[in-house]
Amino acid sequence: MSTLSEKLQTPVEDTARRARPPAPVLSVRDVRISDRAAGREIVHGVSFDLTPGRTVGIVGESGSGKTLTCRAALGILPAHFEVTGGSIELDGRDITGFSPAEWTSLRGSTISAVFQDPASYLNPSIRVGAQVAEVIRVKQKAGRRAARRRAVELLRAVHLRDPELVCGQYPYELSGGMLQRVLIAAAIAAGPRVLIADEATTALDVTVQAEILDLLADLRERTGLALVVVSHDLAVVAQLCDEVLVLRQGEVVEQGPTQEVLHHPRHEYTRLLIAEHEQYGLDRFLAPEEDA
Amino acid sequence: MTTTQAQAAPDVRRTVAAARTRHTLGRVLATFARSIAIFVPVFLVATFVTFALRSLSGLSPARIQLGEEATPEAIARVEAQWGLDRPFLVQYGDWFDGVLHGQLGTSWTNGADISTLIGLGLGVSLSVATFALLIGVVVGFALGTVAALRRTTWIDRAITGFVTAISVMPAFVVGIVLVAVFAVGLKVFPSAGYIPAEQGLGPWLAHITLPAVALSFDVVADVARQLRSSLVAAYRENYVTGAVVRGLSPRRVFFGHVLRNGLGPALATLGLKFPSLVGASVVTEWIFGLQGFGRFANDSAQAGDVPAVQGVLVVSIVLVVVFNLFVNLVLARVTPASQRGV
Repeated sequence: MSTLSEKLQTPVEDTARRARPPAPVLSVRDVRISDRAAGREIVHGVSFDLTPGRTVGIVGESGSGKTLTCRAALGILPAHFEVTGGSIELDGRDITGFSPAEWTSLRGSTISAVFQDPASYLNPSIRVGAQVAEVIRVKQKAGRRAARRRAVELLRAVHLRDPELVCGQYPYELSGGMLQRVLIAAAIAAGPRVLIADEATTALDVTVQAEILDLLADLRERTGLALVVVSHDLAVVAQLCDEVLVLRQGEVVEQGPTQEVLHHPRHEYTRLLIAEHEQYGLDRFLAPEEDA
Repeated sequence: MTTTQAQAAPDVRRTVAAARTRHTLGRVLATFARSIAIFVPVFLVATFVTFALRSLSGLSPARIQLGEEATPEAIARVEAQWGLDRPFLVQYGDWFDGVLHGQLGTSWTNGADISTLIGLGLGVSLSVATFALLIGVVVGFALGTVAALRRTTWIDRAITGFVTAISVMPAFVVGIVLVAVFAVGLKVFPSAGYIPAEQGLGPWLAHITLPAVALSFDVVADVARQLRSSLVAAYRENYVTGAVVRGLSPRRVFFGHVLRNGLGPALATLGLKFPSLVGASVVTEWIFGLQGFGRFANDSAQAGDVPAVQGVLVVSIVLVVVFNLFVNLVLARVTPASQRGV
């Protein structure tokens, strides 16, 4: 098994990847998720295939079921929620029969995730370096010293300046953008094949958001990571994704290649999203200046 | 990686490691300094108030030694012997100087050295209180942890019910029941008395077990409840989801992430619990016939032996403050967040 740091040094050849059609690492088939307590279905059938090095985007307003779909793929649905229809295959295996121990071994090393509000996803009383190293120590059975060395390498790989210093700092000492980088480093520490970025850039300001998106694209190019990008922001999806799903109230209202969906939206909700972007986005205010 | 980088890396690492050690050391020292800064004024004010108690109470050694019918001249003579005719601040200065040197003065009732008397009682009381604390911490942690891990199941409810029940049982009732069952009925423990540890560890433990158990109920209940609720709260935090998503095992998530952050409130509770443990020892020492610190305090107060009561208060203040200092240092180690006052 090649570690991520090795992968980082030997970029996957783009042509080699395209040559043979690879098997999907994450395959979601008509997944339905229900709230058992309320007795109603929240997500009504979501399907997509994700192959290494590709990116699927899920767009939609809050409460549309984006996060639930991701959590189902990670096996961390909240209490009362369960997958009531369809199937999710992770690396060719159906997740329904997974025992807690199997989940533990798959998470981190096959599928991993980063979320909105990175500060809350790191333990406030443990140095960030130790939190990244912990993943390497546990998932790759590395020694304490080797794990620490690799944690520093990872922090360097996510473009953190002065990774040695950052390693010894607590989450409260770092900014939001730095924390999201640390979170990404921890998520990719055990070399997962799928990374879910659930609103990973939502809480960050625009320049930092662009840097994080560049980082994710960079990781995808270098390691063949498959990405699921969840966002309510079309700009994020446009920048990163090959395929887009538009979710509304648990229903997939539009699905297809990103360019297709953005330029020729068929469903009125997608048109609304794009129109709103045109209406409220900065582009509208910048346009006259360019004309002049 | 190039050779220059390879050479530079260990140096950088050493510098960073050294900086981190310095950082940790600095944090511990800062906590220590802050605790001392709190301790000194608290100690000064508390001893001053304690010493002022004599003037406020109007008690005098002359009344104890000469009885009610003493002439004013005799009273004045005895008070002069004890140095009570001097200005208040001079008396306080003298007494405080003695306290700093471990001399708590002489008893009004029998002229014995108070430091020696308290030292004798303290051995008994600290044995019982420490053992009670130990039982409280071990049992409380076990119950709180199990309840939190099995939250909302019948196990959690049973533990919560049990803990609530024992939390409302006063130590003196528990003490009497324990004596009736284990000493009188089953005859497994002695009902009263104390044997110092130097005369045998077994008998020492046998004599302090029942009073310690009686005292520990309150600690068990508080620690268990506090720990359960803070662990349950910690389990709801996002960083637990984060650790799960990174593929850490449930055990690792519990010990490495949940417990570490849930420990703070339970430790802080222990800090609050210690003074009440010292206070409650008065009652249990009566029941178990121990000549402890609490009993000494009670006897002195009833006899109107002001220097003895002052000594008791000084020792209590030191005990409580030192214990809290210890708890604060542990807290500073466990959660850097507690330090920032969050």
